[in-house]
Amino acid sequence: MKAMSLRNPVIRRNGNFLIGTAVVTACLWVLVPLYFLAVNALSSPKAVIGFPKPAVPQFNLESVHFFATYEGVATALLNSVLVAGLTMVLAIGLGAPAGYALARFDFPGKSAFRLVVLMTRAFPLPLLALPLTVLYIRTGLDDTALGLAFVHTTLALPFSILITASLFLSIPVELEEAAWTLGCTRIGAFRHIVLPLAVPGIAASAVFAFVTSWNEVFAAAVLTVQHRTLTAFLLQSLDVSPLPLKFAGAAALVLPTLIFLFAVRKYLFSLWGIANR
Amino acid sequence: MFRINKGQRLAVLTASVLMTTAATGVAKADPLLFWSTAATPVEETKMMREQVLAGFGKPVQYLAQDPGPFATRIGAEAQAGKGTIGIIGGLHGELASFSSGFVDLSDVVGKSGAKVNGAYAALGKLGTSEQKYVPWMQATYIMAANKKALQYLPKGADLNNLTYAQLIEWGKTMRQATGSPKIGLPAGPKGLIHRFFQGYLYPSYTGSNVVKFRSPEAEKMWGDFKALWAETDPGSNNYGFMQEPLMAGQVWVAWEHTARLKDAFDKMPDDFVAFPVPAGPAGRGFMPVVVGISVPKTSPDAAEAKALAAYMLKPETQITTLRVTGFFPVVDVTLPADMPPSVRLSGAAVAAQSSASNAKPSLLPVGLGDLNGKFNKAFSDTFQRIVLRGEDVKAVLAQQGDVVKSILDEAKAPCWAPDPTTQNVCTVE
Repeated sequence: MKAMSLRNPVIRRNGNFLIGTAVVTACLWVLVPLYFLAVNALSSPKAVIGFPKPAVPQFNLESVHFFATYEGVATALLNSVLVAGLTMVLAIGLGAPAGYALARFDFPGKSAFRLVVLMTRAFPLPLLALPLTVLYIRTGLDDTALGLAFVHTTLALPFSILITASLFLSIPVELEEAAWTLGCTRIGAFRHIVLPLAVPGIAASAVFAFVTSWNEVFAAAVLTVQHRTLTAFLLQSLDVSPLPLKFAGAAALVLPTLIFLFAVRKYLFSLWGIANR
Repeated sequence: MFRINKGQRLAVLTASVLMTTAATGVAKADPLLFWSTAATPVEETKMMREQVLAGFGKPVQYLAQDPGPFATRIGAEAQAGKGTIGIIGGLHGELASFSSGFVDLSDVVGKSGAKVNGAYAALGKLGTSEQKYVPWMQATYIMAANKKALQYLPKGADLNNLTYAQLIEWGKTMRQATGSPKIGLPAGPKGLIHRFFQGYLYPSYTGSNVVKFRSPEAEKMWGDFKALWAETDPGSNNYGFMQEPLMAGQVWVAWEHTARLKDAFDKMPDDFVAFPVPAGPAGRGFMPVVVGISVPKTSPDAAEAKALAAYMLKPETQITTLRVTGFFPVVDVTLPADMPPSVRLSGAAVAAQSSASNAKPSLLPVGLGDLNGKFNKAFSDTFQRIVLRGEDVKAVLAQQGDVVKSILDEAKAPCWAPDPTTQNVCTVE
């Protein structure tokens, strides 16, 4: 069936057209908002308030300059990277072994565990915030990047466990068995066979953990005071700021994530490679 | 396929170690931490730091907050018995719920040498014998109009002495002349329209804000408001700060908080006029907003926090604060001639509004604490059901009246002005 349709030129042309349209739509879906964000961040405040909005940037740096000189942006950015980085390391460090265990071993309560792991997302954070903050203040974790990273790890963990579990499931256990027969230990087989195959997927779930932490506001706003993350530092104030500054601030929030995604794109793109293995 | 070579492994390891050290090794250089819900827009925060607080002489870290995290953090520090917040700035209603956690600031008012508004100072005691907060600044809601709208004013109407009936008529004339409604109200998610009902319409029509929630006068009021809404720009459901649609020319006449009109008046001073809110059958209802400063008992340096509170009350500081935030002084000051246009425009309107012969000032809700949000929602819901969904006025008021009553019962809050202030729990008639 598949072979026949590929040989029919009309179907193939229509198919190509459909795929092309889908690709263009998907690209526009992502790129148009980013484009307008960039244009408005780089336009003069007057042009941004007016209507119609500018379609080409005027390279007026007034709004951008505001943020460059706004006290605390640089430190907050550093804190954000730090917390998101720690969250990523913790979420993978705890999530990947748990995912491996779910994929490879049978143990009592396995399906219950799968479900319970998701439950951490069921409690609204504002409800937990008060007792959590009290606890943090008493234990000295309050206002530290590590303390906040713990909370963010809890939020990211369910997904890093479930993503890595399905990832390890997709790697045939026979490959590992073959390595064992050739003299590898369990750990050796994992390191030399499973890990290289799993790296792209692990990277994807790492990115997810990073973004979860980067975007989280409430816990960050309550649990940090002098060591705020960029999101907690800016988002609340941007909400009630004039439009031109909203655009410039949004650009400041989005840019670091874009750079990060660009840096790890190699691993993300090859995620599809694994499916065609 | 990927191989992780030794170099990469080393890099990852070093990075994690570095991050952990950086994360745990917290150095605490200690500027006084100013935790506040005022001056939240980034521009105002920046000017508050650079122009107002810089003059104190000692380092102060000003952090503007959403009310949610603001309250949670204060509650948590009080409960934990130790804290990092040095000094707090918030609305009367936001501070009222933490009364027992604040130190007495009676000596601050004396030390500042300023003559503080007596009524506001009394409000700051929060019903105790101690000064729980010192008043810091005040604002209110007024009307603003594009000068283009003035030609359509109804015959015989005086801009400084409008009635709601005249406002509706004005709106109708503008809509017919321009083809689209030109009145705007901040009914969006970030808008403050609930204050329009609580402090403006209800007192103007019923002389009350809670007790007569479902009175016949209230039914008449909602009927009139429906007529006003018909002359209101449909975009109002998205507006948060009316200064933006006013500057864009989308809206010509708007009701808004003085601080949220500041930009329009400062950037286009020749295009706008400011004037008092309209009056209804029961008077000219308006709502003064009081922001206060408290020092929590857990403050790392209460003495310095008190010194900062006294500094904030000085007439010079109050004038700079007005320039920066659009919030007016609470102490006796003589304003210099070079104030920004927004101060000139709003100042005159505020003065005319509060000194009007039929003025009916009402307070922001008092003593509701965490239930403030619910209380505001009860008014927004009433608006949505009656005006947006067109439900029967009497039936909606009967049901929503029960909601308001249950909130007051839960909070055990006595009535506040303009309702008669007694010790009993306030109730809806």
